[in-house]
Amino acid sequence: MDLATPPVTIFTGNLGSGKTEIAINYALNLRKQHQKVYLVDLDIINPYFRTRLARESLEDAGLNVVCPAAEMANADVPALSPAIRGAMQVENGFCVCDVGGDDVGAIALGRFKPFLPSQRYNFYFVVNACRPLTGTVEGIEKMFRSVEDTSRLQASALVNNTNLGAETDADVVIEGLEVVKQAAEKLNLPVAFTTARQEIVPKLKDKGLSNVLPLDFYMLPPW
Amino acid sequence: MSKILMKGNEAIGEGAIRAGCRHFFGYPITPQSELPHYLAKRMPEVNGVFLQAESEVSSINMVYGAAGAGKRVMTSSSSPGLSLMQEGISYLVGAELPCVVVNIMRGGPGLGNIAPAQGDYFQSTKGGGHGDYKLITLAPESVQEIIDLMAKAFDLSDQYRNPVMLLGDGVLGQMMEPVELGDIKDVKQTEKTWAASGMKGRNKPNIINSLYIQPEDCEDMNEKLFAKYAEISGKEKLWEEYQLDEADIVLVAYGTAARICKSAVDKAREKGIKAGLVRPITLWPFPDNVIADAASSANNVLTVEMSMGQMVEDVRLAVNGTCPVHFYGRSGGMVPLVSDVLAEIEKLAAGGDR
Repeated sequence: MDLATPPVTIFTGNLGSGKTEIAINYALNLRKQHQKVYLVDLDIINPYFRTRLARESLEDAGLNVVCPAAEMANADVPALSPAIRGAMQVENGFCVCDVGGDDVGAIALGRFKPFLPSQRYNFYFVVNACRPLTGTVEGIEKMFRSVEDTSRLQASALVNNTNLGAETDADVVIEGLEVVKQAAEKLNLPVAFTTARQEIVPKLKDKGLSNVLPLDFYMLPPW
Repeated sequence: MSKILMKGNEAIGEGAIRAGCRHFFGYPITPQSELPHYLAKRMPEVNGVFLQAESEVSSINMVYGAAGAGKRVMTSSSSPGLSLMQEGISYLVGAELPCVVVNIMRGGPGLGNIAPAQGDYFQSTKGGGHGDYKLITLAPESVQEIIDLMAKAFDLSDQYRNPVMLLGDGVLGQMMEPVELGDIKDVKQTEKTWAASGMKGRNKPNIINSLYIQPEDCEDMNEKLFAKYAEISGKEKLWEEYQLDEADIVLVAYGTAARICKSAVDKAREKGIKAGLVRPITLWPFPDNVIADAASSANNVLTVEMSMGQMVEDVRLAVNGTCPVHFYGRSGGMVPLVSDVLAEIEKLAAGGDR
């Protein structure tokens, strides 16, 4: 990733597109170079697999995690921490936001518009072309429009996170990238980068794809 | 791309549509809300009906109406919502109406929490509502199996004119796995000559009712249901046998707990302990004969559940004293760890008291 990073980076996408894992990995990457990095849980949609559940290990890694208080971590309430505004207005630091899925999830983002002038943020729309509603250019476009409209912000780029979970190989990622590229062209946006499981990254490089954010996973099944 | 990545809840919805279901009535509740969320988008694409009712009580009675009109219909909820639906389910059974009811279980009792659990085994398999009845109860363990079982669920409910329960937990509903959907095929549905869908030249109307005011008639009805249940018990048991070759320790688990047990069995085998697993796929009818067979040559049976121990009672009845039946479980939304299950297996292998 060689994009100039503004203070705030926002990850949106449809339900189950991989936003949370990407936001975590992106924030940890920033933390390697910078002292002050906030990771904000803006997910009011789904209390399963949210940043707040991996909080402890992320704080140990030096991130400032902003999410509802520990005793609320399993509450099914659409609550946002008052500390989010502070994180978004951070000086000499970075703020990475994990937004809830679909247009309904992006509603939470809209209320922060007054604190997010356009030069202050990058807004990424994450696409997994193996997901049922975003497998085609038309599907991606439809989902993108509904998310961008409700967020009241302007998207900067798409991110290709095409994967089949444990069955992902390099071909799946590259086939997905083609669909994401076509959608990006139609939306008049760039594809910022691709994300993939650590082990696949060298194989992608062999096939000529090097603009890749490697992912380590923090939300794992219990077996 | 032939495979796609789906959440369990989405797969239930897509599986229903592929099984010819065009009517869904429900009320959202975590951890199954992605199912109505998905069907709200998907049903209009296939000219189906998606309706968010004002409550679970309404949902199940709307199901009664659509089923009575001969339509393939489904509702879904999570534990507390299922408690609210019990009266309606009993009425559906009493009127011999087919439908599919989904329960993605969460921590209980009471309002409990939204975490995954298996505490509704009794409610699902032993009746649940009032009166003498059974629900055919299917318990998938993966997103792919959900897709495959949805078609089965609708077919069984039509064939036997009885509601079918699809029972999963929060992990199964929320997790994402690659699935092969295959082509959308025309679904062959049995003709419902009993449905209240017009006279069609008959001179006697079809009546959908669960009122049998004369005790003699009501007893006849009960006997009719139980003749049907005997047939189902004989024909429809489903299970998976995993690493049962010469197994000294036989684990019994379903759904998410079975996934965890498979890992524990693999690890035990690596250590030279002969462990295996019976995974009931139909919780009713319960594959008791398979468990009895596996137990007859084992030293110990270990039931693992995400509850304080419910299915273990059926396992004990099946084993019928031929060897000791042990239990390990976590409850209230806690999920057993592979290492904990492995420790239980190792204790049994060492011959120690648990």
